[in-house]
Amino acid sequence: MHKNFKKIAAVVVFILMGIAFYENFQLMPAYKGLGEGVSNYIIHNGLYDTGSLNLITAVLYDYRAFDSLGESTVIFGAVSGIVLILSRKMLPVSSRGLSFIVKRTLGIITPFIALFSIYVITHGHISPGGGFQGGVILASISIIFIVIYGSAFDYTMLSPDKKTFLETSGALTFLFIGFLGIALDGVFLNNLNIFNGKIGSLFSGGSIPIINIAIGLKVGAGLAIIFYSMIQKTLERSWVNHD
Amino acid sequence: MINNLVFSILIFIGLYAIYIKRNMIKIVIGLSILESAVFFWVIATNDNGGKLPFYQVAQNGIEMIDALPQALTLTGIVIGASTTALLLTFIIELDKFTGTHNLDNLKGLDD
Repeated sequence: MHKNFKKIAAVVVFILMGIAFYENFQLMPAYKGLGEGVSNYIIHNGLYDTGSLNLITAVLYDYRAFDSLGESTVIFGAVSGIVLILSRKMLPVSSRGLSFIVKRTLGIITPFIALFSIYVITHGHISPGGGFQGGVILASISIIFIVIYGSAFDYTMLSPDKKTFLETSGALTFLFIGFLGIALDGVFLNNLNIFNGKIGSLFSGGSIPIINIAIGLKVGAGLAIIFYSMIQKTLERSWVNHD
Repeated sequence: MINNLVFSILIFIGLYAIYIKRNMIKIVIGLSILESAVFFWVIATNDNGGKLPFYQVAQNGIEMIDALPQALTLTGIVIGASTTALLLTFIIELDKFTGTHNLDNLKGLDD
């Protein structure tokens, strides 16, 4: 009775909060469209400023590249914390994999997943996609290895040490591009004139493709390390209980 | 209007899960629902019915969608995924040490 009263009171308070949110957000001014402000500037000048057809990539890796650097630092901190907590001992074996049919089927499909992820990463400035999206697809390959083939296979293919090296190299490449901007043009993370091909071709967009590849490596390796750490620890514990 | 309504309902569900539920996994789910509410609102209120924010699309006379909220939401989604993974890691480790992931069954804090 006492517990139910607390629950009902909290629900009433939250419903009132929801109504207050609704009423307050109804008072906000409506969307004005692209006619003015930063959005208008980006849509009209983004292509000429950055050389990137994909305007979201232009915002992420040129106008607000400093935010992307902070964001990759957040991923790095999360991965560091997870590895510090979960994997005091990196055992190579934790799961045994699925049946033969699943292994053969995924053996055929996995190279195409890798190809697709490389396509999404490298074409981030001329088509939908980019480093973050392609990196997640890249991490799914490692997840397939762990779930389907067992984590011993994933350990032999690309050990956690190599993944850590890849992640750190991605972050350091991003920082190196930033300091190269200071050295050459005097501005941190300036869009360097590295790839200056025709707009819409693969080698265009200044330093955006390099940052895309660095972010892709970083996100892919980071998510793979997170999944490897978690599944290793949990499966190890359930074995101890059952055996 | 429907945007604000759905946003308020999602906020209510998230707060309910965070404050009422005692299972920590469900609390993390509620946090994710709160994040999703904010991302949904940012994307939905800036929707002008346009197509992809690509320059060729605009040259063909089709209106582009605003690129700025989408980029900011992408940033938020990645950070949300990282924090969710870190929280779940804390829960795994707490479950290993105390044998429970329910806040009611947690003992040892008061001795």
